[in-house]
Amino acid sequence: MIEYLFLLLGIILMITGSIGVIRFPDVYTRLHASTKCDTGGAMSILIALAIVAEAPLLIKIKFLILAFLIAMINPMIAHAIARGAHKSGIEPVGIIDMYARDGF
Amino acid sequence: MVKEYILVSPFTLALFIVLFTSVILIYRLMVGPTTPDRIVGFNTISTKITIVIALLAFLKNEYLLIDLAIVLLMMNALGSLILAKHFEKGGAS
Repeated sequence: MIEYLFLLLGIILMITGSIGVIRFPDVYTRLHASTKCDTGGAMSILIALAIVAEAPLLIKIKFLILAFLIAMINPMIAHAIARGAHKSGIEPVGIIDMYARDGF
Repeated sequence: MVKEYILVSPFTLALFIVLFTSVILIYRLMVGPTTPDRIVGFNTISTKITIVIALLAFLKNEYLLIDLAIVLLMMNALGSLILAKHFEKGGAS
């Protein structure tokens, strides 16, 4: 039963991540949507597969190794892309100006 | 033991939904305004293809495909990291 809950969570995270990558206005916000939703959705689907697979223990450990590698690798790539984009001179679209919001 | 028909499983529905979202993301890969946008779309599509291969390994009962998914994930990491580092040095603008 719990594997279908993990699968539903993964599907919802995948769909919201894709909509975020399409709709957000900037490189950094697109990276935010892509990395968070894609990593969470992939790990949820892989944990559901590791629970439901009728296979020996080594196969389930392989699914969990794949989930662990996604959790390690995907944020590292997002960090590298954001660093490269910032050093290449791409400005963020949204500018947060707290003084102007408070009225000074 | 009754063999379950493969198209009735909820995991097949998950496979088709992941494929549909990766088809949507081709828009960001093609018309992204800058180069990091295209790198983001490429990275996301590659991760989704890894998940599709893992789902196929479960649905078809061929667990050899998990090794292919791990290798594809590592190649995706290497390619995206090299593209990001090359972009950081000011190679492409």
